[in-house]
Amino acid sequence: MRIFLLIAAAAFSASTQAQFRLPNLDINRMVDTVKNVGKAVKEIDEPEEIAIGRDVASRLLGAAPLVSDPRLQRYVNHVGRWLAAQTERPDLPWQFGVLDSPNVNAFAVPGGTIFITRGLLDRMRSEAELAGVLGHEIVHVLRKHHLKAIQKGAQTSLAGDAMSAALRDRAGPARDKLIAFGTEMYSRGLDKSDELEADRLGIVIAARAGYDAYGLPSVLQTLQAMSAQDSAVALMFKTHPAPGERLDSLGEKMQPVLDAYSGQAQLADRFVRQIKTQVTR
Amino acid sequence: MRIFALLLLVPLVAFAEPATVIRATDLKQEPATDSATVAALPENTPVEALERKSGWTRVKAASGEGWVRMLALRFGGATPAKPGASGLTQLFNVARTGTSGTQVTTGVRGLDAEQIANAQPNPAELAKLEKFATDRDAAAGFAAQGKLSATAVDYPKP
Repeated sequence: MRIFLLIAAAAFSASTQAQFRLPNLDINRMVDTVKNVGKAVKEIDEPEEIAIGRDVASRLLGAAPLVSDPRLQRYVNHVGRWLAAQTERPDLPWQFGVLDSPNVNAFAVPGGTIFITRGLLDRMRSEAELAGVLGHEIVHVLRKHHLKAIQKGAQTSLAGDAMSAALRDRAGPARDKLIAFGTEMYSRGLDKSDELEADRLGIVIAARAGYDAYGLPSVLQTLQAMSAQDSAVALMFKTHPAPGERLDSLGEKMQPVLDAYSGQAQLADRFVRQIKTQVTR
Repeated sequence: MRIFALLLLVPLVAFAEPATVIRATDLKQEPATDSATVAALPENTPVEALERKSGWTRVKAASGEGWVRMLALRFGGATPAKPGASGLTQLFNVARTGTSGTQVTTGVRGLDAEQIANAQPNPAELAKLEKFATDRDAAAGFAAQGKLSATAVDYPKP
């Protein structure tokens, strides 16, 4: 359906142009345009999703490097990998990184890369809270929220043929543009419905992994108590629905799941031990 | 640094934040639905949040102390604005590099919108990230150490 509409749109714009230069109407060119638009809409396959994700992850790491602490990085990878194993995409090359930034945020990159900032980690109290946030990010990857947004946006900002060039040639200038666009996406955010879906399903993933389902709501409540004027949360608040609204939505739709799995593990001690070691070091 | 670590260790009990009950809700003696009701709190009752236990928060209200559903609570926006730690860091970065964070395309690192939009690839950090990744078996072992076990839970219907 989408393909059809785009083809129709391409044909329409071509025919508008044609009105102005009817004598040398270039049918071949028109057909090429339609073909390229069709190609750009094509589903990006998993190896391509992973390759795009690597390039975007590299840029995000250019904005903030990893916290230089192998033990902390491995801890977060263990929690994240265990969560990811409970999902419908258990065998993606999942990798988790703690970014060395006091900002409060987390990012999901296509293909299975998840980042969480030191600033957000510092405001958590248990492994269940960490699992709630990682679960939310994992859903973005599972449902390809960013990948779809990158694809949709790239089609309007890059021409259809530039998009296919970006996919064909991983070292070309079109590729660079696509990745720059994909990275910029993290400064603008996703659709609200994607974020609310990630909240709902993220809770399910944390519950599947054996964690107290209230981990994510607890973090949201912590965030809700923070001042919107605090620059540490500025971007996160700008790119997500307000924490209060997210809590409302969870209360409305997830109360039974939350209650059924509220007695599961919080692992506050294990979490604090990891964090403490890192900070006093 | 050490003081910071100590702050992190302060248990949950330490938080006493002004909050509001967003809907009429029962103040319970214990954090459980079948526990005795201390008082019925009407919508918009101001309370002080004291401690959280899973889906429940212990609060102090004019009509008594007890537990309410955490999702029935919202923290007031009344807390005064404090400059965030990141604000300080950004100032520091700017001072160090002598550039303005809003115009440069490289040099100033950070995770505000501008900095993300202008970020350049960092293959060395990417290599580190890949090195820290773990596999399913190791993750399962880690889960077992924490006595976590997997359960089947369905996604909610869309």
